[in-house]
Amino acid sequence: MTASRLRGVQESLHTYLLGEGDASAVRDAIVDDARVGAERRLKIYHDAYRLRLIEALSKAYPNLFRLLGDALFERMARSYIAAHPSGYRNLRWYGGELAEHLAAALPQHPIAGELARFEWTLALAFDSTDAPVLGGADLAAVPPEDWGRLRFALHPSARVLDMKLNTVAVWKALDEDRAPPPIEETASAWLIWRKELNPHYRSLDPGERASLTLIANGACFAEVCEALNGDEAESDAAARAAGFLAAWLGDGLLSRL
Amino acid sequence: MRHAPAFPTDSLMTHATPAGLPFLGFGLGLRPPHYHAILDTRPAVDWFEILSENYLVPGGKPLHFLDRIRADYPMAMHGVSLSIGSTDDLDFDYLRDLKALAERVEPAWISDHLCWTGVHGGNTHDLLPLPYTEETARHVAARVSVVQEFLGRRILLENVSSYASYADSSLSEWEFITLVSELADCLLLLDVNNIYVSAFNHGFDARAFIDGVPAHRVQQIHLAGHHNHGDYIIDTHDAPIIDPVWELYDYALARLGPVSSMIERDDHIPELAELVDELAIARRLAAPYLAQERAA
Ligand SMILES: [Fe+2]
Repeated sequence: MTASRLRGVQESLHTYLLGEGDASAVRDAIVDDARVGAERRLKIYHDAYRLRLIEALSKAYPNLFRLLGDALFERMARSYIAAHPSGYRNLRWYGGELAEHLAAALPQHPIAGELARFEWTLALAFDSTDAPVLGGADLAAVPPEDWGRLRFALHPSARVLDMKLNTVAVWKALDEDRAPPPIEETASAWLIWRKELNPHYRSLDPGERASLTLIANGACFAEVCEALNGDEAESDAAARAAGFLAAWLGDGLLSRL
Repeated sequence: MRHAPAFPTDSLMTHATPAGLPFLGFGLGLRPPHYHAILDTRPAVDWFEILSENYLVPGGKPLHFLDRIRADYPMAMHGVSLSIGSTDDLDFDYLRDLKALAERVEPAWISDHLCWTGVHGGNTHDLLPLPYTEETARHVAARVSVVQEFLGRRILLENVSSYASYADSSLSEWEFITLVSELADCLLLLDVNNIYVSAFNHGFDARAFIDGVPAHRVQQIHLAGHHNHGDYIIDTHDAPIIDPVWELYDYALARLGPVSSMIERDDHIPELAELVDELAIARRLAAPYLAQERAA
């Protein structure tokens, strides 16, 4: 068996596993027998490939699975698998484009894509990069008149998601095994991050969302205050910014000065 | 991204380091549902085998618990995506990550499977069997040598469960394993359940397999449960080990002497205590061979 023959056998078997079940190009490479037969032996691998990826997706998206139910989830998973062969070493990363896939495959149910995006972002927070967390004491070491010049780094797990629907309420109900509320259109922004090893989430009002975005882009604290100033009186803006800062420190959201 | 090997591979065929690897005793696969039970109860498990890929993540809980449990238990690293038998180039990004993880874990050894998982950069996430020929053995052995050189240590290769065999095969599986391990001077992880499953599926004698592998290279044994569909068996790791597999384990120990052994459970994962009890069966079966070795 030459190297090119080995290559050819591997290519035709891999192509068969990804395909819809036509074994004609690979059947002759497999030993046939009376008990099981080459085609059924190949089908064991063909089925196992899909079942393994469906299982990986259902573990990555437990509440999407509850939302869609077995049959629809499996149908969506199979169409995703057909469109997205895995190139990942680790199954952990398989499924990252499911939200976009659902938005296209289930346009009548936009909740599916939003919920998938929320669930995937929680999973990203779960095992994203470790970083130190700033506490009140770190800030206390800085004289208040210098706060304006401070620049913070957000914890690497932190992400902001904008939702068009009451997706988080639906996710929470599913997570607690309750009947989800009726789906409603309601724009909201959400912060997702990891605190003490576990993913957390909370809503953001427009002022805090804008402030966090500024911080993430490297703005100093004075610039955050200034941006809030546009909406309200200067002393109110400074108080609001100080309130955000206290909340971020309490949430373990800042990792560096 | 993939890279070609940075150095010629043919000069590495004789690369060897002295085995010098310890006998770890009786272990379990480290699985997330057991993290807290392990730290709270310090079970009588001699060592844990980790699935390397589960810890090739940036941070968070997996690495946190890995470090804490590693502080109390020896570990071995077991991978599923080396794809040593593929005709794709070796994935040096993966090998770099694996080496970095090994620096963190300081494992007793690193293993993967004698299989391939895909071509063209794709991953079927399955452990696909190879055609058992001399040419394939040479292809695999050259790659094992590169990997061993890169990691700076000998690796263990595990025999996989298989459901199909190739018309091209001209060697038995154990002849193939022997040839690869001797050409590459690598070690072996003998999965006794996989031998049982493949023997059933392909109609060979499981004991001939055990008799046929180079005993001095067997560094570790895997034990697991499977699912019998009547005319074939699927390796599921979702059930207790059946008696015929325990008998085969006993047969293997009679030939090999005591070998570091562990139980793999990947689905329907029970309470930790249940697996610790199952591990006691391995201890009991191995006891006479350990006593013999001590006497000798
Ligand atoms: Fe195994």
